[in-house]
Amino acid sequence: MTSVNMGNCLKRSTTDDISLLRGSDSVRESSSDQLGPPAYQETLPVQAASPVYHPSPSVTRSVTQLTEEEQIKIAKRIGLIQHLPTGIYDGSKKARECVICMGEFMVGDALRYLPCMHTYHMTCIDDWLMRSLTCPSCLEPVDAALLTSYETN
Amino acid sequence: MAGLSPSEVCGIEKATKGVNVLSEGATPGVSVDSDLAEQNLLHWIINMHGAPGTLYEGEVFQLQFKFSNKYPFDSPEVTFVGNNIPIHPHVYSNGHICLSILTDDWSPALSVQSVCLSIVSMLSSCKEKQRPPDNAFYVKTCNKNPKKTKWWYHDDSGLKPTKKT
Repeated sequence: MTSVNMGNCLKRSTTDDISLLRGSDSVRESSSDQLGPPAYQETLPVQAASPVYHPSPSVTRSVTQLTEEEQIKIAKRIGLIQHLPTGIYDGSKKARECVICMGEFMVGDALRYLPCMHTYHMTCIDDWLMRSLTCPSCLEPVDAALLTSYETN
Repeated sequence: MAGLSPSEVCGIEKATKGVNVLSEGATPGVSVDSDLAEQNLLHWIINMHGAPGTLYEGEVFQLQFKFSNKYPFDSPEVTFVGNNIPIHPHVYSNGHICLSILTDDWSPALSVQSVCLSIVSMLSSCKEKQRPPDNAFYVKTCNKNPKKTKWWYHDDSGLKPTKKT
């Protein structure tokens, strides 16, 4: 896979899923040397110009500063997150609170379910999974657990 | 909360809830200066009492929490401050704490309460009051922010903080 393709991957995914971009607001730099085609500006005004990513939880980089290895890592994460089931809270589930924001689930909230069965607000967990593919509660690696769940089903 | 991204709103809600929980006295031996925290939600001072039956019984310590706008996705900066820095093999005399959940093992599911409990329990398990072996060198050379230290977490025997380059 060439780096140009990787750039395409990142761009397409970020324009598809706005939620992954939220919170990436602090670093804005010239996008002249960005990989891939220019960002689709009409629906995503300022933020798409130079989204920031976190190859690991404490590292913050604008998309133009990512190494090829980090781009692959992040593209894989985006792909994997999109395979995790989502739902809308209807008040019937046992889980009542999102431990990331410590807020109670309200009817109508968008949720995401991890393979370990821990449930979070979709915006909360997606923000974390873009930094680390582990469950915040049980620290289980989400990618390995997802593979296991495919094998057993 | 106009102008804030969802993750920032998430952090503010969590911090506010944290102040409320600690103000209610839900965690024994731990209380927050809620006036200070309400003035600035990103900077807290917490009073921590040494647990009864441990080497720190009767002592009171002050813990400082500093939050970035990425909390809880980014760990808070936690140090002991004030006149009484606990004498402990994982606590440097400048207040820096060698505890993995504060850097590498941080999880957004952790809260101020759970961090405080970890620190109380770290103090409580201490068998002999002493500073880390490399205290003098570390304190002289470290960054002001303990999160800039590359800590080695291979437990009790040899603590070796090394500076991130």
